[in-house]
Amino acid sequence: MDDYALGVLTNIGLFSFIALSAYLLLIAGEMSFGQQAFFGVGAYAGGILTALYGWPLPLAALAAMALGALAQFLVALPTLRLRGLYFAMATLAAAEMARILFELLHWRRSIDGELAGPDGTQGFRGIRWIFEHGIEPLHYLGIVGVLLALVVGLFLVVERSKLGATLRGIGQDPELAAAVGIDVQRVKLGVAAAAGALAALGGVLYAHHNTYIEPRNFDIMLGVHSLAYALIGGLGTAFGPLLGVLLDIGVLESTRFFQGYRMIVFGGLVAVLLVFRPRGLLDERMVLWIRQRFS
Amino acid sequence: MDKAALLLSLVLAQTPQADLRCVPTGEDFVYDCTVTLTRSGRPLEGARITVGADMPSMPMAHSTRPAKATPGTKPGEYRARLDLEMLGEWAIKLRLDGPVRDLLVLHYEFDSKGASPSKR
Repeated sequence: MDDYALGVLTNIGLFSFIALSAYLLLIAGEMSFGQQAFFGVGAYAGGILTALYGWPLPLAALAAMALGALAQFLVALPTLRLRGLYFAMATLAAAEMARILFELLHWRRSIDGELAGPDGTQGFRGIRWIFEHGIEPLHYLGIVGVLLALVVGLFLVVERSKLGATLRGIGQDPELAAAVGIDVQRVKLGVAAAAGALAALGGVLYAHHNTYIEPRNFDIMLGVHSLAYALIGGLGTAFGPLLGVLLDIGVLESTRFFQGYRMIVFGGLVAVLLVFRPRGLLDERMVLWIRQRFS
Repeated sequence: MDKAALLLSLVLAQTPQADLRCVPTGEDFVYDCTVTLTRSGRPLEGARITVGADMPSMPMAHSTRPAKATPGTKPGEYRARLDLEMLGEWAIKLRLDGPVRDLLVLHYEFDSKGASPSKR
């Protein structure tokens, strides 16, 4: 497998984490345009810990996930009082605030006369943990793949459990869920923290794959894409967002002959798809049909 | 200095440095680029390089298929053709293999005359 194919597959894996994070909120009935902020929190936190303080990547990833969970929990505390589009707008505003904070972040550490670390709009270079530890691109793809498989496995277990039914119940009718004794606000806060941790995990892995991050990597484009992954792929199963990422990156890569116009082609395809399948390709009805057919 | 800082300082001292010069080929958004690689002030020879490019605010949507660079005429020089999708700022990604494994990211502004380092 050449570097190009490895890079594309690794990107599909990395962006699947943020897609799953948006999907988790969607099935609980909340549309977030701000998951890129927690992806960024994970990327910066993980990069700082490995590049500036010599932490091992697994430990840095855990710390970044905890920070991502805390960050989204704190954002969710006031914003979850809002509903629908108001919540979506609040998450977008919070994400833009986070991006501006990344632009103001100067966490430079002098190491033998050389300054390293986040330098505002200049970005954060030299996140080289995987190069320093001799991890080949194929091995890194394997690490990303195993972590993604674990996360998807966890989703599948949760979706078949009482918690999964509770989440979908809240997503479809929060008043009814509250009427049967579910603490909707508390469950949603837990979902938000889990989504933040998931996005942060994707961010840590992204930063170490690219060795360089900057605030613009975490702008609205990433937020829109992460939501689109879940909506295109479908809201019926955790495989939906993965299918969305695969289609997004796959279509963009396979329409290179359109050059700069391929975004217009891609946007058109998405619009047509969402007209005919508003809950995505693998929506609840399709998942039910597949289960009945193969069970 | 603690052990981790010492290790990091050794790594930083050996980090390759790269410089990029690009000239337009006459075809829209296609540039012939020369990469000059040094390490500890000396030309870095024998590296295998692939050159790719991303738009910083759209790293997934607007990227180029990485091209393999060939050795240039001078020590530490490598040449590659970049086929971009539009003018503007691009993050040039140099993936190094061979005597050193690394990924260097350089920000350049591309216009009709060539490329110059981004000013921020």
